Amino acid sequence: MAEKDLVANVSPHLHQRGQNIETAMRNVLIALIPAFIVAIIVYGFQALYVILVSMITAGLTEYVMCKILRRKVTLRDMSAMVTGLLFAFLLPPTTPLWVVAIGAFIAIAVAKQLFGGLGKNIFNPALFARVVLMISPLWLYIAKYAQPFFWKQAGFFTPVVTSINNAVSGRVVYKNVFTNAIYTTKAGQVLTSATPLSLLKSGKALPAVVTGPTPVGATWLTNAGMPNFWSSFIGFRSGSLGELSILALVLGGCYLVYKRTIDWRIPVGILGAFLVVMLIAWNHPLYQLMNGGIWLGALYMATDWTTSPLTKGGKWIYAVGIGLTIAFIRLWSPLPEGTAIAILEWNVLVLLIDRYVPVLRFGWTKRPLVNKLPFYAPTSEK
Amino acid sequence: MSKQGYKTFAEGGIHPPYNKELSSDRTIKAAPVPAEVTIPLQQNIGAPNAPLVSAGDKVAVGQKIGETDAFVSAPVHSSVAGTVKAVEEITNFTGAHVKAVVIAVDTVQPEFKGEKRDVASMSPDDIRAAVKEAGIVGMGGAAFPTQVKLSPPKDKPVDVVLINACECEPFLTCDHRLMLERPGDLVEGLKLLIKAVGAEKGIIGIEANKMDAIEKVRAAVGSQANLSVEILEVKYPEGAEKQLISAVTGRKVPPGKLPSEVGCLVQNVGTAIATYEACSMGKPLYERVMTVTGQGVKNPGNFLVKIGTPISALIEAAGGLTDDANKVIMGGPMTGWAQKEFGASVVKGTSGIVALTPELVDVRDEVACVRCGKCVEACPMRLIPASIANSVIDGEYAKAEMYGAIDCFECGCCSYVCPAYIPHVTYVRQAKGKIAALKKR
Repeated sequence: MAEKDLVANVSPHLHQRGQNIETAMRNVLIALIPAFIVAIIVYGFQALYVILVSMITAGLTEYVMCKILRRKVTLRDMSAMVTGLLFAFLLPPTTPLWVVAIGAFIAIAVAKQLFGGLGKNIFNPALFARVVLMISPLWLYIAKYAQPFFWKQAGFFTPVVTSINNAVSGRVVYKNVFTNAIYTTKAGQVLTSATPLSLLKSGKALPAVVTGPTPVGATWLTNAGMPNFWSSFIGFRSGSLGELSILALVLGGCYLVYKRTIDWRIPVGILGAFLVVMLIAWNHPLYQLMNGGIWLGALYMATDWTTSPLTKGGKWIYAVGIGLTIAFIRLWSPLPEGTAIAILEWNVLVLLIDRYVPVLRFGWTKRPLVNKLPFYAPTSEK
Repeated sequence: MSKQGYKTFAEGGIHPPYNKELSSDRTIKAAPVPAEVTIPLQQNIGAPNAPLVSAGDKVAVGQKIGETDAFVSAPVHSSVAGTVKAVEEITNFTGAHVKAVVIAVDTVQPEFKGEKRDVASMSPDDIRAAVKEAGIVGMGGAAFPTQVKLSPPKDKPVDVVLINACECEPFLTCDHRLMLERPGDLVEGLKLLIKAVGAEKGIIGIEANKMDAIEKVRAAVGSQANLSVEILEVKYPEGAEKQLISAVTGRKVPPGKLPSEVGCLVQNVGTAIATYEACSMGKPLYERVMTVTGQGVKNPGNFLVKIGTPISALIEAAGGLTDDANKVIMGGPMTGWAQKEFGASVVKGTSGIVALTPELVDVRDEVACVRCGKCVEACPMRLIPASIANSVIDGEYAKAEMYGAIDCFECGCCSYVCPAYIPHVTYVRQAKGKIAALKKR
């Protein structure tokens, strides 16, 4: 019999259909479409410009870094584009495009490639870049949020960016990129909009903004641009591009859980632990839950494969830890919001969690308290 | 209990494409006897056999041609009448070099005539002796000598004998056909196994995708109080020894221990029928039923095959390869061995030959682990395959051992679900080899 050119490799000889990295990344991109649409509706085409610059920069950086570091170019798995999109989703809509490009470069070049490339990074690249910008001289460009629907004044397709003008109180103005026109409210005020959480933190404006004790069912419809429950839910409010609509994020999250791209334990653990603390502290629990970036973080950032634990038990510890940390930051630190920092903190602990949180192996009658792995094990053989 | 409403093992497992319909309705046919058979002297775990024949000797069907005194061993028998051409080193289907007896087959093949025995009067020792004499090994793939399993330690009595009729490997249908065509022999074999170890009851575990077989076997079991049929969920690896015991009885075999630890004995369908044949008519294990299937062969089927038949002859018996066949596997597609050439021969543990087409052959370069945790979810032993693989990649074999590399039985679920296409099974084998070497030192 003529023997043909046959594939001969080791078992197993079957592979689950569609179980590969690019399919997972495509699922994430699909899941983020609703949030993307809300961002365009609320902030106009300026949102699209930020997203495009971020994704293109991320892709180019991935290519260039792989070439420089002599790695196999991992552009086709689309993970860089996902990082680019998620990074854009963490930014205010009017972030100048050059700041966006610097951030996307940091995400891919530093947080991903310098840590070893796909699968080796310790920090979530998008969050890492966001926090690096936050503590850099560029912080003011990403510190303030424009009012929702500012495009009604500027035009739907007009690029409007944050500009710093020290003569103005608050130092931030919004200007038309082409005409340099500066946009203000009718009263001549700058179009910035304090975030709901920063108002809550400052406490000053709180009585005016948050009416009633805000337990479940309270309305928050208040003065200038502050969201009520339903506008938070649908996303007609100010905030980072991706965090606007809880409805859109949850829709995408359900799709990812259905596709088994993300593990439901992580968002459930984060949101559950957070809500429990806020209920105990009775610090406007529902208002806290419906504002800020916790949904974007819980569903799309903390669930990142590489920077979350491998085991079920580890995932619970990680998720509950993140939820508690966000709650503690919001309650007792000077920061109004802590999702990004909480996730990054727990990213660092993931390797320890994986190493020491035991799994009840088949045939074991009881789970040991910790894995009996040495803290430092010299390499036995190279 | 599960979604399907049948018993199964608790965690892990996968649902690969089964493709059993390709051959499940083909009755068992005798495969043509080839012009030459190559019978390896070692076909099972344990000691290799010394040849009892040399070049030029005439041999008869069922004549013993290899034997050893070691306890963990099984003799081998000639599957044909013919003349020994040579006793030489060959390359077997795993690529290992083993001694084998090459026999030129006579044109006229007399039927094997065994001595009829009354199985009802056989004592446990008689059964063990008959099984040992017949060279019976586990026919599901692992090929562990059966008489060793039938001699459990005195302090660990066996109360349940399980027949593994799951056939959870995709594509294979030989056990399914045996249950349809010879349910009575299966039940007789089970009764002999129960008697040999002094067990109280016997349970036949069949996956829910073989309802016709379940009906037939239930009819054969009839009203015998100590025998029963358990329908199991369709999930891979339902037929792995420890998983089957856990699914049917709820007992968990501790790591590194044998089923006798929890009072169980597991035997495959083919093994039970071979046990019956060995006891009732003294027939040695020189032929077996196997499936030759896959989209890559023109005419899939189930065949009664002489041990030692080359792969090429069986592919011909199944109509030859199709033009687009690009992978040929000896054994099931989850645990079998891919073959580059078709010279290797069938052994007692070979349950099938599967030829695949590009539709199911999904081969890619391995990339770095993205730590998705899918392997952890899929592992039926509740290990962390990613950590074992990463330890091996880093050369840290002691760490791989702590992560339980030894407990892995290489079912391949982890690699099946891995989006990074990491060959965990290869790394586990590497770890097992290195760990054994480190222990010796």
